[in-house]
Amino acid sequence: MRIVVKRTIGVTALACAGLLTATACSGGSDGGSSDGPVTVKVMTWESAETNAAIKKALADFKDDNVKVELLETPSGQYGDKLASLTQAKQLPDLFWCGNDTEQQYTSQGLLVDWADKLNNGDGDFKADKFVPSAIENWKTADGQMGGLPSLMNTYGVWYNADAFTAAGIPLPKAGWTWDDMYAAAAKLANKNGAKYGLVADQLTGPDGPFTMSMYSVSAGGAPFTDNVNHPTKAEADDKYKEGVEKLTAAIKNGSVAPPGYDAANVQSLFAAGKVPMTFGGQWLAAGFQTDKPKIKYGFAPFPQVQTPTTLYDSVGICTPQYTKDQDATYKVLQYINTKVWDAVLPASPVAPPAYTPAQTSYFDALTKAQQQTVVDTVKADLSAEKTVGVRFTTQWASQVGDLTTANYQPILSGKKPITDLPAYVDKINGLIKQGS
Amino acid sequence: MTAVTTGGPANRKRGRTRGGMSRNAGSDVRAAYLFIAPAVIGFLVFVGYPLIRSFYLALTKYNGLTDPVFVGLGNFRRLFTTDPAFWPALRATGYLVLLYVPLSLILGLALAMFCNQRFAGVRVVRTLAYLPVVLPAVATITLWKFILDPQVGLMNTILDRLGLPTSLWLQSSTMSMPSVVLVMLWGVGGTMIIFLAALQSVPTELYEAAKVDGAGPWSVFFRITMPMISPIMLLQVILQTTAALQTFNQPKILTNGGPGFSTKVLMLSIYENGFPTLGRIPQLGYASAQVWVLFVIIIAVIALTAKFSSLWTYSDSTSD
Repeated sequence: MRIVVKRTIGVTALACAGLLTATACSGGSDGGSSDGPVTVKVMTWESAETNAAIKKALADFKDDNVKVELLETPSGQYGDKLASLTQAKQLPDLFWCGNDTEQQYTSQGLLVDWADKLNNGDGDFKADKFVPSAIENWKTADGQMGGLPSLMNTYGVWYNADAFTAAGIPLPKAGWTWDDMYAAAAKLANKNGAKYGLVADQLTGPDGPFTMSMYSVSAGGAPFTDNVNHPTKAEADDKYKEGVEKLTAAIKNGSVAPPGYDAANVQSLFAAGKVPMTFGGQWLAAGFQTDKPKIKYGFAPFPQVQTPTTLYDSVGICTPQYTKDQDATYKVLQYINTKVWDAVLPASPVAPPAYTPAQTSYFDALTKAQQQTVVDTVKADLSAEKTVGVRFTTQWASQVGDLTTANYQPILSGKKPITDLPAYVDKINGLIKQGS
Repeated sequence: MTAVTTGGPANRKRGRTRGGMSRNAGSDVRAAYLFIAPAVIGFLVFVGYPLIRSFYLALTKYNGLTDPVFVGLGNFRRLFTTDPAFWPALRATGYLVLLYVPLSLILGLALAMFCNQRFAGVRVVRTLAYLPVVLPAVATITLWKFILDPQVGLMNTILDRLGLPTSLWLQSSTMSMPSVVLVMLWGVGGTMIIFLAALQSVPTELYEAAKVDGAGPWSVFFRITMPMISPIMLLQVILQTTAALQTFNQPKILTNGGPGFSTKVLMLSIYENGFPTLGRIPQLGYASAQVWVLFVIIIAVIALTAKFSSLWTYSDSTSD
């Protein structure tokens, strides 16, 4: 009996060890055997439909020495998945990443630096073919590029054209001012089921202080921070303060949704005509193509004080240091940026590619769908001379959110006086100093 | 478990070991260890080790990407002195406990007393009262989020139709926590079922004697029911307080801690630091320090409750 028990335990232990070993060996990026083609694994955060289109496009990638495999992963909880794979050192060769992830991972030495290949590589796939602000922001302080930008996020104001017309307000268009916007919001509030005239989570939420930079920069003042990637200071000059005061007044009179407004359903409320104006990204256009809103709508550039100013942001594709074959991985990365979007974007025009020659298919798709205001605004944003970053991308960026909730949002809500703004900025400067 | 004898023919027959233990008894002991081994190993792997590891991590700066760096009490210093979210999180947690625990106990007991009556359909009522507990929590909480939506939600629509004042509910810094507690109370059937079992274990002769003595319903409740179920009440106080201190699902789904810090309870803060949104670096060392603070608070609350329980719990000393 005892021998049987011992043997059972021994066999079980061996089986467990075997299983653990097998599990450890089977995950992660697989460079393939030394004599066969290299397999490059790709992971996205896209929906099942978009992934199917990407997979189809990747099937046309032809190279005898390289196989491409799109990982079948559900799109939800991408952040958690990425964190787990990073900790387990099992990241695929190419994975979708934000500018902040790229900056933070590169500073930790986790990503392959593509700067040399992009600057000195063959053919047309060069840095000067990308949107300049994207390339600039994907560089770390020491010039490394831990990934390449793939799609641009542009922002503006989505408006309900029917509501504007009914209220006798001119439709928002390039060159409209912040005062125009607040005046329109005041007229549109509490009408036709709309509680607020403007819902702008980007202005009142955790990223609000950065979005407010658009006002101060447009008015000739200073942005909230000199650089979101490598900040040396934060400031709130007189122009910035003026912008905050105007927003606070608009929140107070009920025309703009206050901090704390749950913006999770804003897209559907906008489509249902219950939110007449909302700040948002160009990607909403793709959703509106499938779930058609009940209203006539448009997309306008952000308002200005004197000069047009907008937000910049982009997402991209990163590669872990331990990718087995950098050349093979780069070939696939190049293929995705130059060819894959042509196949994916016509069906779902979610964002303009950062690689400018690939933008045609995006704009063609929007034009075909009669979304001309989106085309115009995205083009204006991409060529905007003055841009401000959406948020810090630094290691300590998460602490800024709590400081904003504790100090900046109460100012907007009128619970703290505007004179508390310098104290908030000082705290941010404390973090910058500590971080550097 | 195993009786170890030292003499007698039976032992001689089985053979004795050097320590005086029979060979069979020794075998039984080994078998016993083997049987408890999975539980002990499970505890060590899934509780013991993580506990020690998290304490170590609480003393480090650790982001999960690079090796931990020892910072001593730095994380705790940051928690208590510079973190703008920590004290509001403690306040929100305390407020939630103070609102939820008494309400859940009162409502649970009231429901249990109602369900302890004899009337037609009592089983259906019991089932209905317990039903929210077996429904998937995330689904019901999400449904409540729609109900409490200030613009298109059912609650405000009904109040508006009745000519009653509406509220911003989850989007108001004053109403958000009561709204969260309201949703939590939806699952009060769990508390009810334990109280119901306690009520049914009270000897009926006590009630009969009280009836003979002419005791009124309040006297019966405070002089018989409450003392008899007080040990279960103590258990419930401890269970509900512990659960309330660790509340996560409702604030996460309903408000994500907002507006401001009004519903940002400690568990939510821990989660956000340990598992931040995409693009943010985890602060696992810092989150571990928060976990230890919460752990100490829970232990302290349980210890205090237990210490003062003798003042209000009834124990039948003659039962020994």
